[in-house]
Amino acid sequence: MNQQPTYRHFGENGVLINWPSRIDPLINDEVLSMDSLIAKAFGYKIIELVPSYHSLAVYLKEGESVSSFIELLKELPVSETRRSKNVKRLITIPVCYDPKYALDIEELALANEITTKKVIQLHTGEIYKVYFLGFLPGFPYLGGLDKSLFTPRKSTPRKYIESGSVAIGGKQTGIYTEDSPGGWNIIGRSPLEFFSCESSLQCLLKPGDFVRFSSISKKQFKKIRAEVAKGIFEVGKEVHRD
Amino acid sequence: MIEVLSGGLYTSIQDLGRFGFRRNGVPLSGVMDRYSARLANRLVGNSKQEAVMEITHIGPVLHFKSKTEIAITGAGFTPTINDIEVSLNTRTFVPENSILKFGLPDYGLRAYLSVFGGFKTENKLGSYSQYFRITKKETIEKGDFLSLNPSEGIPIKITASVKVPRIHFFSDSIEVFTGPDYHLLPKTIQKKILEAKVTVSSDSNRMAYILKGWEKLSAKEIITAPVQPGTIQLTPSGQCLVLMRDAQTTGGYSRVLQLTKSAINIISQKQAGTILHFNLVDQPM
Repeated sequence: MNQQPTYRHFGENGVLINWPSRIDPLINDEVLSMDSLIAKAFGYKIIELVPSYHSLAVYLKEGESVSSFIELLKELPVSETRRSKNVKRLITIPVCYDPKYALDIEELALANEITTKKVIQLHTGEIYKVYFLGFLPGFPYLGGLDKSLFTPRKSTPRKYIESGSVAIGGKQTGIYTEDSPGGWNIIGRSPLEFFSCESSLQCLLKPGDFVRFSSISKKQFKKIRAEVAKGIFEVGKEVHRD
Repeated sequence: MIEVLSGGLYTSIQDLGRFGFRRNGVPLSGVMDRYSARLANRLVGNSKQEAVMEITHIGPVLHFKSKTEIAITGAGFTPTINDIEVSLNTRTFVPENSILKFGLPDYGLRAYLSVFGGFKTENKLGSYSQYFRITKKETIEKGDFLSLNPSEGIPIKITASVKVPRIHFFSDSIEVFTGPDYHLLPKTIQKKILEAKVTVSSDSNRMAYILKGWEKLSAKEIITAPVQPGTIQLTPSGQCLVLMRDAQTTGGYSRVLQLTKSAINIISQKQAGTILHFNLVDQPM
């Protein structure tokens, strides 16, 4: 990959850096590399950075000039935005695919002409990249869903989806990290806590992480949930070489 | 101490916002009309970061159990202390055991109440701004108690009062920049979104203003990308969404325009039914 990004103003205090408009793990790698490079080089000039699939927003402190900042960005040596193959985290997320939690799994299996067992097998068989967080606090946009699980969003969104629900919407899979309305098809629920801000911000996933789902029973779900509540559950984290 | 006797329509504690957590999907939040909120703080000698009370359309009834200094700015309410009318945009002494009422606004939508030393409600992630997914309370309700700073520290009688330009409440021209996806629109639609008169819908809230008038227009969805307060989206079905302070951090609708900072403050004061038009300005240098 060697794509020159483009830079534009985004309001009086924002810069928007854009790469070619595609959902592509390599393009997102560039977004995340630029994200950490800018944080390191210009941390004193910025309030915060918001990465997404192919685009990075830089929100500057009051008084900083957007035009001058864009000039600084253009002078960044391009080679510095490319990291060598980095060591990433691979996080295992337990999911109970029992119909008790998986409100739409049977309908989704039917629509894709496969068994629910096959849905679980395909969903747990992939490693997914966390492209970025958005929509809800801690909500991960995940890439890597198997094509045979692509399913359109529900025509009428649900008013209430419980936090931890694992879902498929179009070509994407994700986890509702908070109770929320939503239109994705619910295929399971994880007992983990993905976001909290009791004393400080705790986000289980961060952009650039990799995740995989592992199937658990209703009994294991209850056990893990109790351990999570007590703060004694240890989430599976390993090193992943991309 | 203040006891809340009635919460009003939608009353919340807000400061300038919760900065630094948008990459985690946490909205910025903060006062809708920063201009009026800053003025309220300045009048009582607070720094601009202090939390104020944001009052929307129908004001609360507050029982001040101890004395303090306050200022009320923003929309044209007719506030009273113990049934005696007090001026807007003026530093005002509140004796102990007083009742503050707001009534309804003659103009504008949101008022700001500052108290000496600022409101110190639950602080989450470095901000007092109430937002339902982050703070325990989303709004101020009947029965709430809000602590006040000790009045001993209050400097004796300083008169402070300002006149607010009428344009802040009565301008129907909303300044915008082109948005990140404006150039993807056909020329005819670019022209129409700038020419159309739009009307504020009653569904508008702290997350987004919904404007009517673009129903015949349409823009394709985009790959989910960053949005911020002031981003104006055009949906495939012709809805015009003006994202406000509690907006999501990323979105999938076409970002056709971007409000200027002062336009966000101005639109925050518009009631449902107000007719507006956009005025394209050059990007600042």
